[in-house]
Amino acid sequence: MNKTTLIATIFILVMAVFPFTVDSAWLSIGITFLVFATVAFSQDIILGRAGVFNMGHAIFFGIGAYTTAILNVHFGLEIIATIPFAIIFPVIVAVVLAGPIIHLRGDYLLVATIGFNIIFEQVLSNDLFGLTGGPNGIFGIDVVRIFGYELFSDKAIYYMAFGLLLITLLIIRNLDNSRYGRALYYINKDEIAAKSMGINIPYYKLFAFALGAAIAGVAGSIFAIQYSAVSPESFSFMQSVMFFAIVLVGGSASLPGVIIGTFVMFVLPELFTEFKESRYLIFGAAMVLTMVLRPNGVWPATFGNIPKYLKEKALKVKPKGETK
Amino acid sequence: MDIFLQQLINGLTIGSLYALVALGYTMVYGVMKLINFAHGDLVAFSAYVGLTIFTQFFGASAVSFVNVIIIFLLTAIIIAFVGVLLERLAYRPLRTAPRLSAVVSALGAALVIQNGIMLIWGPNMQIFPSDILPSTTWNISGVIMTFTQVCILVLSAVLMIALYFFINKTKIGTAIRATAIDQDAAKLMGINVNRIIMIIFVVGSMLGAIGGLFIGIYYRSLTFDMGWVYGLNAFIAAIIGGIGSIPGAMIGGLLLGLFNALIAGYISTQWAETLTFVLLIIILIVRPTGILGEKTAEKV
Repeated sequence: MNKTTLIATIFILVMAVFPFTVDSAWLSIGITFLVFATVAFSQDIILGRAGVFNMGHAIFFGIGAYTTAILNVHFGLEIIATIPFAIIFPVIVAVVLAGPIIHLRGDYLLVATIGFNIIFEQVLSNDLFGLTGGPNGIFGIDVVRIFGYELFSDKAIYYMAFGLLLITLLIIRNLDNSRYGRALYYINKDEIAAKSMGINIPYYKLFAFALGAAIAGVAGSIFAIQYSAVSPESFSFMQSVMFFAIVLVGGSASLPGVIIGTFVMFVLPELFTEFKESRYLIFGAAMVLTMVLRPNGVWPATFGNIPKYLKEKALKVKPKGETK
Repeated sequence: MDIFLQQLINGLTIGSLYALVALGYTMVYGVMKLINFAHGDLVAFSAYVGLTIFTQFFGASAVSFVNVIIIFLLTAIIIAFVGVLLERLAYRPLRTAPRLSAVVSALGAALVIQNGIMLIWGPNMQIFPSDILPSTTWNISGVIMTFTQVCILVLSAVLMIALYFFINKTKIGTAIRATAIDQDAAKLMGINVNRIIMIIFVVGSMLGAIGGLFIGIYYRSLTFDMGWVYGLNAFIAAIIGGIGSIPGAMIGGLLLGLFNALIAGYISTQWAETLTFVLLIIILIVRPTGILGEKTAEKV
């Protein structure tokens, strides 16, 4: 067992027993942490692994949350039944929105995604088709029922979020070991070289967008369940900036980096409510300082995103003439 | 027809303000290839600084022409200083770092300025006094034009023409253009790149400060987060014109101002901002380099 696996195991064990050791206030902080960490990981797939400058990630998070809220409140669907839609809609939107702009150079793509996020915010607060509820959002989302059994306690929601985080980590692990993950890695490293190697760049970038959007969508769904309400400001451009910053401040394509980033951006403010006023000032200064001192993030991935054992395996396999 | 002419005047006024702010974005992008996200907040900061100078030093006394010039100059100098400081602290250490690190640093700096404003002046809206500029209005066959609007149009035109000559006809301007094309080659030709970047920030911040003060005088209400709104609009203007191109920022600003005013006049104010961003995305899809931007080959 190497060091990374050990740290990961300890982290997962601690998170698994966390609800039994704390009171309800801490429990809700724990849920927030899990939900935002999941969204940050999904942003990391797009930004950290594929290297696509996406500053509109709150859109997919928001679509997931609003899908659950609208289908549950306006159409009376069970929460569990809304979750497939909270996966599919963000994916469709991601492909439709990103499709025409995916070929843009970095900075232009960044600006286009900012534009999408601001349009999204406006659409939500202008109450499109009378579904989104305007600036106040949607209230009164039902509790989760599975086979008639109500899962209303914070502990149940915590474990839903925890399960999602574990699934996300599993997906990322599989992604890293797969053909897709390696394609994304080379696109990120050197796009022109990847192109001349015959990698279909728009396809893989869109794939990263779709995967990130799907995960963010489910996280949004859990966010809506936790607060049993949604409103536009949770999915504003500022929120996207936060996700963008988490990945880059923590260290892109690095699991501990994203965890640290989420902790600093979303959990610390909950702990120190007294500096709520100056919280963003401190964050801003910390963002500048981190970048100046460690331009690659606090805890950057040391070996790209291809794990060492995989490389060793590839080296062992090659002489036998097997190609994957 | 009167509505059209009225919206034309309003649009050109807002457009000139956007253009003034857009110049700051475009010059920094042209030389450093960095989106200076903090520029919009610097503009907001200048409005607050101008307001404070006005209320602290000229509050009760009648405002004269000389006083107004002093307010503008003082604000411009302070903001230029902040701009240079910003470059020193947040951008210079990251010149060789990955592109995204500088973007995050810029966002961080924007947060610092924005929330600094909130901590200094409070989270509530501040009102700009109405008696800084004379409230004369002219009614030209149904089209109303205020003294402030004339001031904005004339001064921004003068500033832009001056900037155009500064960039194209002076020695420093030539050095700036050379640095924008290739920093290393410029260095080899004996150009002090650090000094050029400092000049860029001084000029850009001063123009932004004048724009910010006019925004305060024209709209009269200030909020600490207004920098995002004006900054993003100015940034869109820079993209429309072709980011990195100085005449492009001017044309982009005027076009965006006209677009905004006509949308607000004929379609709806509620969706004006949305349509602005739709325009941005269409332009990015159709012609990412903007109207006057040149196609650059990707460096390998």
